[in-house]
Amino acid sequence: MKVVKAAVSGTMESSDIMVTVAPNEGGGLAIDLNSTVEKQFGAAIRAAIAETLEQLGIRDARVTAVDKGALDCVIRARVKASAFRACEREDYVWEVRT
Amino acid sequence: MELELGPLRGRRFQAVQEFLAQNGLTPPEAPPAFTVTLLEEGRPLATGSLDGGVIQYVAVDSGCQGGGLCAAVVSHLTRQALQEGREHLMLCTKPENRALFVGLGFYPVTETAGMLLMENRRNGAADFVAALPKPPPGAGPAGAVVANCNPFTRGHLWLAEQAAARCGFLYFFLVSEDRSFFPADVRLELARQNLADLPHTAVCPTGDYLISAATFPTYFLKDQANAAFHSAELDLKLFAERFAAPLGITLRFVGEEPLCPVTRAYNRQMMDLLPGWGVRTVVLPRLEEGGAVISASRVRALFQRGELETLRPLVPGPTYQYLLEEYRHGASGHSGN
Repeated sequence: MKVVKAAVSGTMESSDIMVTVAPNEGGGLAIDLNSTVEKQFGAAIRAAIAETLEQLGIRDARVTAVDKGALDCVIRARVKASAFRACEREDYVWEVRT
Repeated sequence: MELELGPLRGRRFQAVQEFLAQNGLTPPEAPPAFTVTLLEEGRPLATGSLDGGVIQYVAVDSGCQGGGLCAAVVSHLTRQALQEGREHLMLCTKPENRALFVGLGFYPVTETAGMLLMENRRNGAADFVAALPKPPPGAGPAGAVVANCNPFTRGHLWLAEQAAARCGFLYFFLVSEDRSFFPADVRLELARQNLADLPHTAVCPTGDYLISAATFPTYFLKDQANAAFHSAELDLKLFAERFAAPLGITLRFVGEEPLCPVTRAYNRQMMDLLPGWGVRTVVLPRLEEGGAVISASRVRALFQRGELETLRPLVPGPTYQYLLEEYRHGASGHSGN
């Protein structure tokens, strides 16, 4: 997927993370993280963001994240939502029916 | 708790004005473009507004502080700004609120005793200034002009020529803020055209930084009588620390102000404060035409009255060409009525 505009999801409320994904054509992945748990989990949060974008096939993006102690699953969900919005894609499958 | 988003109207606007006043803030006279309000049984508990790229009028009920309401308000404002296509946000607050907004992803730009300017981009100001053109080695002292050029007049041209002759490299900064009669991109383009032949001069936008001091939010200052003085101090410190220091600017040129008392007071403050940061202020006399100084406001007044021949001696060629086309365009646009 290709990021075509800046988009955001999440909030800066406790246990959430606000993730902005913006275009960064040819610039690779740039993550600016501001987290209340930077010392303990900064590296893990960055890895979660990078991995989620990689799974979506996004190579170039400028990500700004303000984290208020979100759980790993919340981080991935917010990154995904911002990424789909930033790519103007709506063909996501949130639910896997069996 | 209810959440309301959008421009405030009627009684709700009144309620928010009262809420701001109760919290020691000076409420706006007219509703801001976009406001977030969190209410309980119709009573505001937290609010914040967005005006272009500036977050202002943020207040949280004293009984609810520390409960994350400010985070909720700023989250909504950030989302709204992005929908309006603005990623870069600024806010101006009391210095004691620093930690609160640092926790919401804001970084300090400049601070005075009473005011703190913040932005939501790490190293935003430093990166912006680093991308500006640099004087060639051995160019000599660098100087700066900061002007709105609404529109660019022969007075601006003269000021730039005089300034360029007095320094080794001239930064001619155009205020990028889009609140003027002529749009920011037009003002910048006209300055570029009019100054294309001036040696060792770079015409640069101010980005979101050197905003006209008049528009720094001052609603949180107790000392409302001297609000203009305090915001001018912030504006000058921002110029000195964030622009002059990294770019090696040691001279600031400004036109004498015989007309406007606000601008005159600002120039006075410039002369008082800038030397403290190693910048000398050079006041240059204003160019006259027809017995009065040339000013952009004079040009605008003539333009609005359609007196293009009278304004012609006040502006350089490229500005006149632009005004003429705009006038014809406007005139033809009304011909159908």
